[in-house]
Amino acid sequence: MQKINRNVVLALLSLASLIFLLFQLCYYKFYLSQKNGAAFSKVRGSQSGQDSTRWHVVRKFLGLISSHNIPVYLIDPLILGLVDKDIEQIRSSPDGPSSECKYFCAPRDFTTFALLDKTWKHEVGLFRSAEKMGFQWLKIINKDPRLDGMDDLSGVEIPLHYIFKLASHAIHLVVFYERSGNFLWHGPLRLKQRMDRKFVPFRKLHFGRYPGAYEKPELLLVSIDDLKVQIPKNPSSFLDEMSHSRFLECRYREARAFFQMYPDDASLDAVEFRKKGKSLLHLAALTLNNLGVKFWLSSGTCLGWYRQCNVIPHSKDVDLGIFIRDYKADIIPAFQNAGLPLKHKFGKVEDSLELSFQGEDDVKLDIFFFYEEDDHIWNGGTQAKSGKKFKYLFPKFTLCWTEFVELKVHVPCETLQYVEANYGPEWKVPVKMWDWKSSPFNVQDNGVWPIDEWDNVIQIY
Amino acid sequence: MDEWKPNPTVKPHKKRSWYLAWKFKLMNQRALRKLCQTGAVLFLLVTVIVNIKLILDTRRAAYEEEEESAQDYDDEMLNVEVPRHPVNNKKVLDVEVYSSRSKVYVAVDGTTVLEDEAREQGRGIHVIVLNQATGHVMAKRVFDTYSPHEDEAMVLFLNMVARGRILIFTIKDEGSFHLKETAKNVLKSLGSQVAPFLSWRDMWTFVGKKGGEVYGEKHAKSPALSTWGDPVLLKTEVHLTSVEDAECHWPDTELNRRRKRFCSKVEGYGSVCSCKDPTPIEFNPDPLKDNKVFDVPVAVIAGNRPNYLYRMLRSLLSAQGVNPQMITVFIDGYYEEPMDVVELFGLSGIQHTPISIKNARVSQHYKASLTATFNLFPDAKFAVVLEEDLDISVDFFSFLSQSIHLLEEDESLYCISAWNDQGYEHTAEDPSLLYRVETMPGLGWVLRKSLYKDELEPKWPTPEKLWDWDMWMRMPEQRKGRECIIPDISRSYHFGIVGLNMNGYFHEAYFKKHKFNTVPNVQLKNVESLRKDNYETEIHRLLGEAEVLDHSKNPCEDSFVPDTEGRVYVMFIRMEQEADFTTWTQLAKCLHIWDLDVRGNHKGLWRLFRKKNHFLVVGVPASPYSSKKPPSVTPIYMEPPAKEEGAVAVPAVAAAEQT
Repeated sequence: MQKINRNVVLALLSLASLIFLLFQLCYYKFYLSQKNGAAFSKVRGSQSGQDSTRWHVVRKFLGLISSHNIPVYLIDPLILGLVDKDIEQIRSSPDGPSSECKYFCAPRDFTTFALLDKTWKHEVGLFRSAEKMGFQWLKIINKDPRLDGMDDLSGVEIPLHYIFKLASHAIHLVVFYERSGNFLWHGPLRLKQRMDRKFVPFRKLHFGRYPGAYEKPELLLVSIDDLKVQIPKNPSSFLDEMSHSRFLECRYREARAFFQMYPDDASLDAVEFRKKGKSLLHLAALTLNNLGVKFWLSSGTCLGWYRQCNVIPHSKDVDLGIFIRDYKADIIPAFQNAGLPLKHKFGKVEDSLELSFQGEDDVKLDIFFFYEEDDHIWNGGTQAKSGKKFKYLFPKFTLCWTEFVELKVHVPCETLQYVEANYGPEWKVPVKMWDWKSSPFNVQDNGVWPIDEWDNVIQIY
Repeated sequence: MDEWKPNPTVKPHKKRSWYLAWKFKLMNQRALRKLCQTGAVLFLLVTVIVNIKLILDTRRAAYEEEEESAQDYDDEMLNVEVPRHPVNNKKVLDVEVYSSRSKVYVAVDGTTVLEDEAREQGRGIHVIVLNQATGHVMAKRVFDTYSPHEDEAMVLFLNMVARGRILIFTIKDEGSFHLKETAKNVLKSLGSQVAPFLSWRDMWTFVGKKGGEVYGEKHAKSPALSTWGDPVLLKTEVHLTSVEDAECHWPDTELNRRRKRFCSKVEGYGSVCSCKDPTPIEFNPDPLKDNKVFDVPVAVIAGNRPNYLYRMLRSLLSAQGVNPQMITVFIDGYYEEPMDVVELFGLSGIQHTPISIKNARVSQHYKASLTATFNLFPDAKFAVVLEEDLDISVDFFSFLSQSIHLLEEDESLYCISAWNDQGYEHTAEDPSLLYRVETMPGLGWVLRKSLYKDELEPKWPTPEKLWDWDMWMRMPEQRKGRECIIPDISRSYHFGIVGLNMNGYFHEAYFKKHKFNTVPNVQLKNVESLRKDNYETEIHRLLGEAEVLDHSKNPCEDSFVPDTEGRVYVMFIRMEQEADFTTWTQLAKCLHIWDLDVRGNHKGLWRLFRKKNHFLVVGVPASPYSSKKPPSVTPIYMEPPAKEEGAVAVPAVAAAEQT
């Protein structure tokens, strides 16, 4: 009797323990899969219920927007990543039936779509039908950045993000706007007061932490998992673009404050220089973009953007930075073909390279090449008559997009550190007399070029 | 061994006592078996503890994440508490109305909604319309019934006000001199006892509901012609009705919701707020085939003339080929009513903080509007610029669609304008005909983005310069010899009577008789001949076939041009050099066309119609077309009347500013 009891008890206990263990496993897996999103479920059976939920929500959403004639396209990085693996097959059979739910059932919290603002205006009807279909929705609006530069206009606020929630899945609809400079922009997602912070786990959204800048994508209509949907024609390059799409708005308010203190130069010379500087920058951007060379606004041009959102009229040149790893030998001939002859070339690819091209009427285009070290980045300078070398040190930085004189260009994301390194804490005060050898805050002597190298490292045309 | 009953929810310390009891039993059992059992129990214990810990951990982590996630996306905006008006459940409004020689005011529930004590201004009858359910001010007007015709405008306005609205009247200074019988009868029908007997310099206040009760009336008679009646102050109470009673019951559509919002806020727009048969606010004109201006943004420059804006937008949205999504209305100032009009039509509107004064304010408003337009539509190569006091022709966009490629391709063009300065009823004839002119007419025109961004925007007059933007644009430094394309018959009509440089007399003399195209889908002819060189060929061809008129006759006489139709005639006037417009100005004056400055010329040539004949005027010898003059003809010279010259010069400046 006693023996049976004990055995029964032990068996029961072990069973309980096993259930606990199983529960633990499930819980752990569930938690993990939520967190990483990308992880595929290994136990397909237990997940299939949720998988088809996602697919159904996406299908409902696509039905909703197509009934309102709203052209959206898929930008969900997770799904595009999966699609990209099979892109050839998907392209070749646009109507091919798919047996399994391969893409839209992948575990995730959101499916992200994009909407071009100008292709759509009348929204009221959409939300009513969305509600009828059971969607809960959230709209995030904010100031229109295209009017931000103009202090005296009170633009209407524009919708930046929409979230449609149904059951356990949510659709994130990102609204893209066209900006001067021929690119698309989406805004940051910022919750206002009284908004439901737990509507969805906002943190897991792929878009909205920062504003972003994108090229206008070419679209492709495909059928995946039995759903017809538009995707970027080249998903992998879209995903690549997405990974460094962060956009910085110019600091218009600070720029206005600056002009209050130092009124803008409205003389004819200033107007003329700005015009020339702008067209030179446009030409340089076109040339470098054609070559696929990444560049950013540097020195005075960067300061002009950061401090006053414009070209500084008394700077006499346009300054760009390029990482030396992006250097291409074609740069010089490309500029020459664009009508910008080489004015001088200092240094060499291994050390302190600097190119200078002659734009129209004395406006110069300076290109500095930047060398990356473990804890800093530097570029070099050379004095032609003495062969002296200089070194300008910068803290490490990454690149962000911005809009400047109707152009989409890069600037260092950590602009303040960059500008302060170059111009010191007094960068807000305009300086008309500037000596590149002594004025910069971060200049260091860097020895002298050996005489026998002079022919190579000091070329003046 | 009954205490051995298994209990899955036991606490660890209890288990410990089991374990001890169990350990004691170990003596009597086989060691291996005991070990197995112990192992199983330990395993169980560990599992339980690990599980509990895991659940606690993950729950806390998940909670923290939720907290954090929201923080990251918080708006940086400061926590500004919007002052919220307490919901006004009050059913009664206290109304105070004051009428006197130099001051009027109206206060509703202690809030002053009208106060006018400016000198030399605001004479006449002030009218305020309140919403009978909310007590909000829906319209404010002043009718200077001391002057003629203003009483007619007041009758028109009062007839437009919906039944049930609360009307408040008060007189400032004088309001009876031109208050005719009809107007007095209307006031009487509203319930006023005094209105029929209102006389010179009486003071009067009245509060009543349209088509309903009278809440109060006070009157002070003027004792003598040279003095005013004593000031009167009327204090009364108005009972509010329920919101449902104050609204119309239109079917619930998106359009009607906009209409409802509009009609509960403002008054004086007539049938748009009619309950029974409201006029449409969506027009759906026919689309244009091959519309080249569908994607061109349209900037409507507006001030605080909401009734004008309403009329203007109606005509704009009725024009064929209009694309409402491209329209932006720029309002100079934080005026509510123009914005309400914009929202009624479902368009987007932007308000602009006024900068500077007078013409510089207009000029800054233009600049901001143009810059914003190109920012909002970065793809656009052009922008259509309109003003709030224009009617837009039904074929406005068709006209632009057929001609816009010229602006893109011909560098010698400055703009395309819908307005012909010389296109009056008696001087314009052919809707399919276009001209090239050296002056920029404005009043509905197309601006090239490159012209604006590269040339105009950087050197636009700064706020302290009191310049007119259009005069500035006409200066040779800006125009640089470029020309504008205009139609013979204008595609816009300037109906504004009140404005910065505008008054009724001026409008009557120069704008009222302007011809305005009402024919849809006009096919323009010879658009290609408007290109720079082609146009010269065209002019030479025209002059070649033109009959020279009899220069011995008086060009001002009607008989100067024969009674024919469809012929081409030419006359030659004296024009010593390029800027000598002496004879032209006199000719323009007697032809009753624009004579305040020189408009519509192309290299010393003017083209217009007289008696349905094409009529060319060539200035000799300044014009290159002088060579077409037969040697026998002496160019006509007309002397300006010596005395009047000075008088003309002054309005010339003022008038030129406007258009």
